[in-house]
Amino acid sequence: MIQNFLSMNGYGLFVWGAFAITFIACGLLYYKTYKTLKKHERDFAKEINELSSDRKKVVIENSKIASQVLSSFSKTI
Amino acid sequence: MFKILNLSNIFFWIEKLIGFINSIFFILVLVALSFALIFSPPDYLQGDSVRIMYVHVPSAWIGLASFSGIAILSIANFIFKIQNIKLITKSIAPIGLMFTCLALVTGSIWGQPTWGTWWAWDARITSMLILAFFYIGFISTQKLISDENKANKISSIIAIVGFINIPIIKYSVDWWNTLHQPASIKLTGESSIHSSMLMPLLLMFFVLILYCALIFLMKYKTEIIRIKKKNIKRL
Repeated sequence: MIQNFLSMNGYGLFVWGAFAITFIACGLLYYKTYKTLKKHERDFAKEINELSSDRKKVVIENSKIASQVLSSFSKTI
Repeated sequence: MFKILNLSNIFFWIEKLIGFINSIFFILVLVALSFALIFSPPDYLQGDSVRIMYVHVPSAWIGLASFSGIAILSIANFIFKIQNIKLITKSIAPIGLMFTCLALVTGSIWGQPTWGTWWAWDARITSMLILAFFYIGFISTQKLISDENKANKISSIIAIVGFINIPIIKYSVDWWNTLHQPASIKLTGESSIHSSMLMPLLLMFFVLILYCALIFLMKYKTEIIRIKKKNIKRL
């Protein structure tokens, strides 16, 4: 039964090949997108952390995004 | 109303949506794959090779829908000049390109056992390949041209010109004699596909749409952070 499922009545190579290519491509795009997002979050958080404490306070108060990125970044490290 | 469109609010909702999609995604993938590979019946003519349809057709739909979305938003951008639109089109384009390429590759894999050839310069396949070139043009202008306004203008023109190709792809199987079969699923009128195959197809489409939403949200979030990073001195 498993043999039949894997061979797909002779079309196994085509069916599994098509599904594998689709899922590998999706996985790679996800990985690349995730890595780019994390890199930007890290760089942004680093830039905020490099500001003077007064300036940092102003940035966090004025930008919800900055405070969210900073808090999510500090959670991951 | 416009408060919702504020980048900070959008950013907040993006985080929530990414979390929600991540929590249900893998279960849905398993269910959709079970239907596509186990529970759906083989075709009376094509046998089990018909299962390639479950990745090929949704990929083609997503490729077409993404480009249509980009083109419509580019027209809106020309009229209203909203910065958000640029971010959205920039985030959609790589997803559309990947699915257009996947439609071409999986179609080629399906073509070998069905038509006896990996490739044919057939109207549907060729117009799909042209769509991939429009995507490449759209993405590369945004990456290669450093002047942002100029890049947006050129990429919008590419998207609008490429939009002409969408009805050509859709009706190519009706206008020309092609190897590619005509549409089995119609929005208006009766579909010629059996429900035992339609259900897994729609399920796979839904899963891939969720995946697209996830990638889009992550890319959109990246673009928002990039803008905020650029404007950090103004905060």
